[in-house]
This record gives sequence, C-alpha cells and structure tokens, in this order.
Amino acid sequence: MNRTVRGFIRKELGQAFRDPRMLAMLFVAPIIQILMFGYAVRTDIKNISLGVLAAPDDRMATRLADRAYSSGYFVPVRVSAVNPMGDLEAGRANAVLIAPPGGFSRAFGRGEGKIQVLVDATNSIRARSVEMYLTALGAEVALDSLRLRELPAAGVRFDTRILYNPTMESYIFMVPALAVLILGEILILLTAMAIAREKELGTMEMLLSAPISRWEILAGKTLPFLIMAFINAPLVITAGILWFDVPFRGSLWELGLAAMLFACATASVGTLVSTLARNQQQAMIGSFMFLLMAMMLSGMFFPIENMPESVYWITFLNPFRYFVTLLRNIILKGGDPAVVWPNMAGLAAIAGATAFVAVRRFRQTLN
Amino acid sequence: MPIEPRRVRSIAVKEVRHILRDPFTLAMALVLPLMIVAFFGYVMDLDPREIHIMVSDRDNSRASRELAQVFSASGFFRVDRAPDGFPLARILDGEKAKAVLVIERGFGRNVASGVEARVQVLLDGADNSNAGVIMGYLAGVERLASARLTGAEAEPPIRLETRYLFNPELNSRWFIVPGLFAFVIAIMAVLLTALTVAREWETGSMELLLSTPVRPAEIVIGKLAPYLALVSGAIVLVYLMARLVLGVPFRGSHILFIVSCILFLLPCLAQGLLISVTVRQQALAIQLGLVSSLLPSMVLSGFIFPIESMPMFFHFFTVLLPPRWFVGVSRGIFLKNAGLGELALPLGVLALLGIVLVGASIKRFKADLEP
Repeated sequence: MNRTVRGFIRKELGQAFRDPRMLAMLFVAPIIQILMFGYAVRTDIKNISLGVLAAPDDRMATRLADRAYSSGYFVPVRVSAVNPMGDLEAGRANAVLIAPPGGFSRAFGRGEGKIQVLVDATNSIRARSVEMYLTALGAEVALDSLRLRELPAAGVRFDTRILYNPTMESYIFMVPALAVLILGEILILLTAMAIAREKELGTMEMLLSAPISRWEILAGKTLPFLIMAFINAPLVITAGILWFDVPFRGSLWELGLAAMLFACATASVGTLVSTLARNQQQAMIGSFMFLLMAMMLSGMFFPIENMPESVYWITFLNPFRYFVTLLRNIILKGGDPAVVWPNMAGLAAIAGATAFVAVRRFRQTLN
Repeated sequence: MPIEPRRVRSIAVKEVRHILRDPFTLAMALVLPLMIVAFFGYVMDLDPREIHIMVSDRDNSRASRELAQVFSASGFFRVDRAPDGFPLARILDGEKAKAVLVIERGFGRNVASGVEARVQVLLDGADNSNAGVIMGYLAGVERLASARLTGAEAEPPIRLETRYLFNPELNSRWFIVPGLFAFVIAIMAVLLTALTVAREWETGSMELLLSTPVRPAEIVIGKLAPYLALVSGAIVLVYLMARLVLGVPFRGSHILFIVSCILFLLPCLAQGLLISVTVRQQALAIQLGLVSSLLPSMVLSGFIFPIESMPMFFHFFTVLLPPRWFVGVSRGIFLKNAGLGELALPLGVLALLGIVLVGASIKRFKADLEP
C-alpha cells in the first residue's frame, strides 16, 4: 500500500485509539447494545394484565381464567366489579373477562357459550393477540367439558412444523438484524464525520495544499474506518450468536464476504455524506436521516412485504435491506444460493455506485 | 448567584443565529419529523395482511383442491402451487413463501372415509412475527376446512363477544401515531443539543465564552431555550399531520398535552446537553447521542414493543428513560381522555428526570471550569 495512505491510516486509528472513551464507544458499546436489545426486542405479546369478573362457583369461567394465567400470556389483576371500564381507562388492566349474568357454566350448559371481553385497544396489536389467545383457550376449555359427550375425531388436522426456530424465540430473529443496525450506525457516523471535521477545523486546506492526490485523501479518510468495521463486525456478530445461542447453519466465508460488502457500501454512503456536508453538524444530520430511512426500510423491525409498491422498490436502494436478508438467511437457513448471490450483488452495486458519486463530488468541491 | 436574564438572552440569541445561519440544519429539523410520521402513517402497516403460502398437492383430489380453496377464501393467505419437482425445503430456504402446505397422497380418501385427515404445514420460524400470525390463523382455517370437507361442527362452542375500547376498529395508526411523538421528540432533542457545547470546545470558542462574565447555568439555559422552541415547532407540525392528514382522534385536553410535551422535552434536551458538556468532542458526542436515543426511544419505550413482554430487568431499567413515560402519557391523552389524576405518576417522573438532568449538566459544566 501507498505510503501516504498508510500514514492516514496510522493517524486516524491513532486518533481513535488514543481516547479510551472513543475506544469504549467503538468496541464495548456495540456488544452491550446487541446483548441488551437482543433481550428487549420481543415480537411476542406476553404478560397481558387480565381481570376476570365471575362468581367463584362459576367453574367454566374459573377454568378459563386458570388456563389463561398458566399460559404465560396473561397475568391476573383485580378489577372493580362495578366499574371495570375505569380500570381499563387507568391502564390497570389490559382486558377484562365478564361472565354473563347467572354464570358462564350455566349459559354454556344451555348451549349459549357467550362470554364478554373488554379490551383496551390503544395498542391494536395487543388487542388482536388478546382475542386470538382467548379464542384458542376458550376452545380448549369447551373441548374439555364436552369430552364426556365423545366428539368424533374426524376432520382435517394440521401437523404444524416450525422450521429454523422451533421455539419461536424472538431473539433468534432479531439478533442478526440488530447486528446490522449497530454496525451500520457506527460506521456511517465515523465516515461521515471524517472529512466534514477537516473542513470545519480548516485542516482540509492544508491537506489539499500538501503534495498528495485527492485519491489518497479520500482513501485515507475511508480505509481506517473500514479496518475498524472489519474488527467490529466479527466481534458483534459472534457476541450475539454465542450469547443468545443462535444456531449458525451457514458458511463463515459467505458471512464474511457479506459483511465486507456491507461495510464497503455503508462507508461509501458515509463518505458521500461527508463530501456533501460543510460541517460536522450537517454530516451528522445527513447520516442520521440516512440511518433512519435505512432502518425503517430494511425489514429489520417492519416487514417489507407490507409496504406499498412504490416504497417497496425504494428498499432496493438500501444496503441495510440486503445485509439484513443476508445475515438472517446465512445464519438461520444456511444460505440459499438463490438468496445469497442476488443480495451480495445488490450490496456490491450500491458500494460501487456510491463510491463513484462520492469521488466525483469530492473532485467538484475542490475546483 | 442569581441568573441574569439579559445574559441568558444573549446566549440564546447567539444560538438562534447559529441555527439560522445553517438553513440545512433548520430544514432538516422540520423535515425529519414529517418524514418519520409519513413513514409510520403510510408506509408501515401493522394490520394483518395476506401471507404468501405454497401448496404442494401430491394427492390432487377434489378434497385437496378444496382445502387449498379454503385457505385462499379465508382472506388470510395468498395461495400458490409449489412448482413441480422443486425441493420443498428450498421454498423456505430461498424465501419463496412463508409456509408450505404439504398434502400427501390419500388425503381425499381419508376425508371420504371419515378418518382424521392429516396435512403437514411447514412454517418459516426464521421470521417469527409472521410465524406467530400464521399459527393464529391456522386454528380458524382448520375448523373451516373440517366443516367444509366433512360437515363437522363449525361454530366454536365458546364465542367471545369482544369490545375494543378506545380504538373500536383496531386501527394501527391510532396506536402508532401518539407513540410517535415520543420517538420524534426524543431523537430530535438529543441530536440537536448533543453537538452544541462540544462544537464550542472543539473550535475553541468556549474559552472565549468562559472569559466573559456568563455563568454556567446561564449558558445551559441559553443553549436549551432555542432548541426547546425548534422542537416545539416540530411537535406542532407532527400534531397537525396526525390530526388533519392521518385522522387520529384527540380526546384529551390540549393544555395538558402541551404541558406534558414540555415536561418531556426538558429531560431529552438536557440528555443531549449533558453528553455535549461531558465529552467535548463532536464525533464522540454524536455517537453517544445516537446510541442513547435512537434504539432506546424506539425499542425501550413501549412505542412498538410492549415493555410487559420484556424480561424483568427492563421493567425496572426503563423507569430511567423519559420516552417510556411519555408514550403512555401521549396515548392516554390522545385516545383515552386521560386527566391529571391518571397521569400524575408519569408526569411527576418526567419532571424529576428533567430537574436531575438539567442540574447534572450545569454541575458538570461548573466542574469543568474549576482550574
């Protein structure tokens, strides 16, 4: 490698490593983040507070409540029999089950198995889950009490097998996505601030008047951060996989190649932002906007299939989208060639195109 | 020593000039929130939708075709035939569908002879949010299919009469948009203030400022005030968009909402300022600002992922995070007409966090000045 670029790398790495706080930010914070958010991001709804209004001798209603509480989805709360709405309004209960007058057992015996449920629907996702869970539990309770009457076993029965993640743990799905976000976040900010900082402090003029080429400046301001990303990526991904015991089914070199392409694409975007910004504040806001869009349109938290068609096409410009797909597919499913190669190509194309624009922009700003 | 309003004003005026000189930052401060609202209001759809499944029909009887029909008629699924000779495992490996229905030979015969007719369903557990939804749908489809093919009892013996309060149509926008205020305010406030003091240290203008008679508390208040105004402007924009464009109802008191927003803004702005005062270096300040605002305000606030579902540790840890309190306040005022009585606890905690964080920034700042 060229001596000038080596000098740049030594300077930038030295600057980052000299400050123990920056060092902690770069290498310790990401690991803490992935462990912490890996636990926190749960797509399943649990611990819904459910109150039950039924007479103590109403056996069917009590059985339904017992099942609900032992399922792990619901936790018991006391609600006022006079004004259950007040408990929902104040947020003390998320749902209240109300037995019909005269008791649920008797109504069920007459063949009118109706039971009222009041649900706080301010969280519409949770409200839907409440309905779904209670319907399923109600069917079980009903089946139990009808067993004496010998229902015929005929009919269609589904044998459901959940592949890749049989216990449906949220973190198995989320840890790869979080790794993408955490790595992307650091890299984009570092590269975006790098050139903007020199402009703000006025040292850019000095660099330009020195006998070094523009290429060397640009490479020197990008490569050090790529090196940091190459240290960081295995660190974060390994920490996530080992700590959460995420099954790793793919090949390491595919994972490595994907991470490398992603780092190049993200660093190029950061450098482009840096050439456009006049100071660090602009660079920060620019890279933050990119980061936010990249996060929202990546499928890491919100499924891409649900987006309107016009937005769906925009997601193809997003490097995060490709890397999220790649990490999930390679880690959890072993990497299907029909998914791996198109997504790798997408990342490479973005890296190439953005780097090209960044170089041209950089030349223009100087003239 | 008392705070001199004149000096606070000069600091604030200087900061306002700084903001105005940089139209890009100003524009972004207003465009960014609108962009976020547009995304969550229009692009993101949390309502259930059709899920793509593939059917591998090895029986190819009238009953098996009818079963596939039940799936597509349910409205929950988009059903395609699996391509002939394509290995089943690779349908899910290659992300071609979210589930595969495998109907083995003999299915039609079993249905006709009144034996239990089993069908295998392979689910993509790597996408566990979809897998959970499919599992919920399958129970219903199973009953429907049994009824249609064998004439068994279709109606579930227990019927829930569910009343959805506050959001009767289960509109996910009503759920998302009030929580969005917490997300937008938290990230804007922290990002805008995280650089303010660090920039002055880095460019050396802080030394100048310190040689004047201005006191730390005056600098801190003077620096907070303009951003308080700027983010308030953003809040108004988001509010108008939520009400007029997205049609989210507002059932509570506007005055209470304004007071709550300010109570929430203070700890957020102070959080950014505290970072700025402590690290004095823009690159580091921005990393810290982002790490402490973006994911926490989205993931640990209850905005999308309910805190009750998280492990116990987070039930206690999130108590320290302002957005966690404001999400409940905003939803309560918007949808439930919650009053001061119901919101006393969250608003009290927000006020306390605000005092602690503003106090900490002033104190940190003072400590810096001692030789």
